[in-house]
Amino acid sequence: MTVSRRNLLAAGGAGLVAAGCAPVAARLTEPTKPLTAPRPTDSPNRRLADRLTFGPRPGDLAEMESLGQEVWIKRELAADRPDPLPLTLQLHRLDALWMDPHEMWDLPENMIVGQLQQAAILHAVHGPNGLQERLVDFWTNHFNIYGRKGLAAFRIGRIMQTAIRPNALGNFGTMLRSVAHAPAMLVYLDNQVNVQGVPNENYARELMELHTLGVHGGYTQRDVREVARCFTGWSMERRFLRKKGAFVFNEDRHDNGEKLVLGHRIPAGGGQRDADIVLDILAQHPATAQFVCGKLARAFVGEDAPKHVDRMAKSFIASGGDIRNVLGPLLLSDAIVDSPPVFKRPFDYLASAVRVLGGITDGSAAIQDHLAKMGQPLYQWPMPDGFPNEPEAWAGSTLGRWNFAFALTENRLTGTAIDWNGLEATNPKATASAISGQSASFDGTVPEAAALALCSPEFQWR
Amino acid sequence: MNDWMFCDGQGGLSRRGFLAGAGVALGTLTGLSSALAQVQLRPDRREGNVVVILFLRGGADGLSFFVPYREDGYHRVRPSVGLAAPTNQSAAANLRTLDLDGFFGLNPALAGLLPLYREGQLAGIHAVGSNDGTHSHFEAMSAMERGLAEEGPGPSDGWLARHLNATASATDTPLRAVSLGTTMPDSLRGAKNAIAMERLDEFRIDVSDTKKAKVLAHLERMGQSGHDQASISARETVRTLRALDLARTGHVTPATGYPDSDLGRALRDVAALSRAKVGLEVACVDKGGWDSHVTQGAGEGWVPNLLKDLGDCLAAFYKDLGPESSRVTTVVMTEFGRRVQENSGLGTDHGHGSMMMAIGGGVRGNKIYGRWPGLEPAQLSGPGDLAVTTDYRTVLSEVVSKRLGNSKLNDVFPEAHGAPLGILA
Repeated sequence: MTVSRRNLLAAGGAGLVAAGCAPVAARLTEPTKPLTAPRPTDSPNRRLADRLTFGPRPGDLAEMESLGQEVWIKRELAADRPDPLPLTLQLHRLDALWMDPHEMWDLPENMIVGQLQQAAILHAVHGPNGLQERLVDFWTNHFNIYGRKGLAAFRIGRIMQTAIRPNALGNFGTMLRSVAHAPAMLVYLDNQVNVQGVPNENYARELMELHTLGVHGGYTQRDVREVARCFTGWSMERRFLRKKGAFVFNEDRHDNGEKLVLGHRIPAGGGQRDADIVLDILAQHPATAQFVCGKLARAFVGEDAPKHVDRMAKSFIASGGDIRNVLGPLLLSDAIVDSPPVFKRPFDYLASAVRVLGGITDGSAAIQDHLAKMGQPLYQWPMPDGFPNEPEAWAGSTLGRWNFAFALTENRLTGTAIDWNGLEATNPKATASAISGQSASFDGTVPEAAALALCSPEFQWR
Repeated sequence: MNDWMFCDGQGGLSRRGFLAGAGVALGTLTGLSSALAQVQLRPDRREGNVVVILFLRGGADGLSFFVPYREDGYHRVRPSVGLAAPTNQSAAANLRTLDLDGFFGLNPALAGLLPLYREGQLAGIHAVGSNDGTHSHFEAMSAMERGLAEEGPGPSDGWLARHLNATASATDTPLRAVSLGTTMPDSLRGAKNAIAMERLDEFRIDVSDTKKAKVLAHLERMGQSGHDQASISARETVRTLRALDLARTGHVTPATGYPDSDLGRALRDVAALSRAKVGLEVACVDKGGWDSHVTQGAGEGWVPNLLKDLGDCLAAFYKDLGPESSRVTTVVMTEFGRRVQENSGLGTDHGHGSMMMAIGGGVRGNKIYGRWPGLEPAQLSGPGDLAVTTDYRTVLSEVVSKRLGNSKLNDVFPEAHGAPLGILA
């Protein structure tokens, strides 16, 4: 990667380096291109970039224009572009992603949660496969785990690396089974105390209500108890001198009697296989197809989702839960461009703001603090339903968004930088317009105009 | 003179009140004129009642609040996480309940609330809840916040929003309904005039003073015409920033003496807003973490820690409010209680009936209200839950009619529910 002199952080660089954020000096992106001419938010290309990815970086829309929408969408669906080297290097510093959980046992939880957030921000802002990143965020919330409960945090890195990220555009059943075997989830939903005789229903209930069938998916309280019985003994290794934090099946804590789940008889003596059968039943259930496709559709076409769910659910069943198959036709159709806007959650907002200004970030504490003030500290939503999507739920994040916009554009965030000179933006109105499609009269500087555009109602939607 | 008395009662502006109270430079007067119109308070609202809805998220175990120590069944179903009778000298002190009425005992972790109970400022309601049969947090919370018997068809807005919208007036202050947190609870969903803020003292726009007026004016302009949530929130946020800017020069000074916790900070801010007489009518506060499937603890541990924080924060809140206490009524509620029988993990699974509390202004306390359904197997509901003998809306209806002065209860709770229990005077 070549870094031209003008792209070195001419404006804020010296101060930032002095503030101790050397990682930022390693540029994570291709040289920034100038913000182009006004692009109203109703431009189809802009909408595609906003919906499929965490928003365009400077130059992305021009690239989409030259590739053509179809080629661009197919490239996003393929999601096979390698990470740029600086991103790879940044991610490799994060022990929380790579260390074996038993090696992490003595590390402070705050450090682990901080690194997990850092990884999420780095990926969202700098990852080359935007659709993949949006889906990682989607599935992270679908399979939400509260990183402050028990020892869950120590296993979240592994679940992200082995269950969520590789399957985000892959097979739903594979992801579901992988998550179900992940100690982070089992511990978060108390399955380590789900034992023969007195089953603990927590994981069984949320598995059906939130991960697969949906609350109206046709299961009963009896099914909850039976599924809990199937999962008895699924736990995390905590014994002395064993590989702490690994998945373990405790045969002697398993209820080996016969079970009846959603009308399927699971014969006695199945051992660990009982719950594998349950996962197969759930992964292929028509209610799961409806529920999961409904959520996926809402992520991409918002309130238009009901128009598309049935067709997506059919494709979900036919393909055995292949997410690429389910999403491809939707994304390649006019549905995205024709649908009403979708509200950005704070994480969306933060990533899209840094991206639209061609900014770089190391995802460290300062930017995480702003995300927390906006109400979305990642991996810290206590309930298993994930952060809410409804705009009403985020009414309280407005001021946090504004304060982030000013801190970002004034280059006050340690570890994050906007290179105003590199952007070659000289006209405040044009800058505002390129960001939000609006260019209300404003007599301030380019960064001030950019801040206000990031604050605008238009930029809160994608 | 009240710093907030910008109008002279006939709708005219008292220039002296404005300048003295707000203490702003003359140069910014023009920029603030529209904000000024918005912070004029209707005289009958200025010293109105305040209702605080404290929602315990995750399904709080009502049996661990008001413990039915006289019932044999209780000790049978809670061999490990249960508490002892007040007179049981063989139990450790932190496991002995504090007697309330000869049948129920207060969890000793809630000892901070005992004086309020004895003084008649705190009432408990037991075996209270909704009709929810799903045992889903989200369904049960949504039903309660929409004010319905159970999740299903019905109005999609929140019960507090329906009250606020039905009684809205052009002179409502931007601080009429405040959620102390970063997200807005569903009970306020659809409210025309509600704001969420995590902390009062941090509700400031972080730009230099020289730019501030210009920036606020621009933000206001950008949000002024849209009907989308982002525009609505932008307008509310600008209005609130301006109102608080003015109020800060008055009496909005957070007190000390609260536990160092999120709940303590939130209640401290509610007290500050109540004292400042800025037109606050409804405040929503959440305390999460009650989903105690595992090792919930008795005497010490998870649930006792939550209870201690809850009790100590509420006690500090009413101490801080002092003479204002008579204006401020707090309702403590949760989406459902927990399974009566403790599980193998020394916790409890999702249940049905739980408890509520009413504290402060107008409360006829020193009493546990509601019909106790009992804990014998035949008396339980569903998979072994405390039955619901009082619809949660009978309690909230009393609050709406007696404290918020809104007699059109059908607007707020469209479905029929039980008769009032007389919890509020």
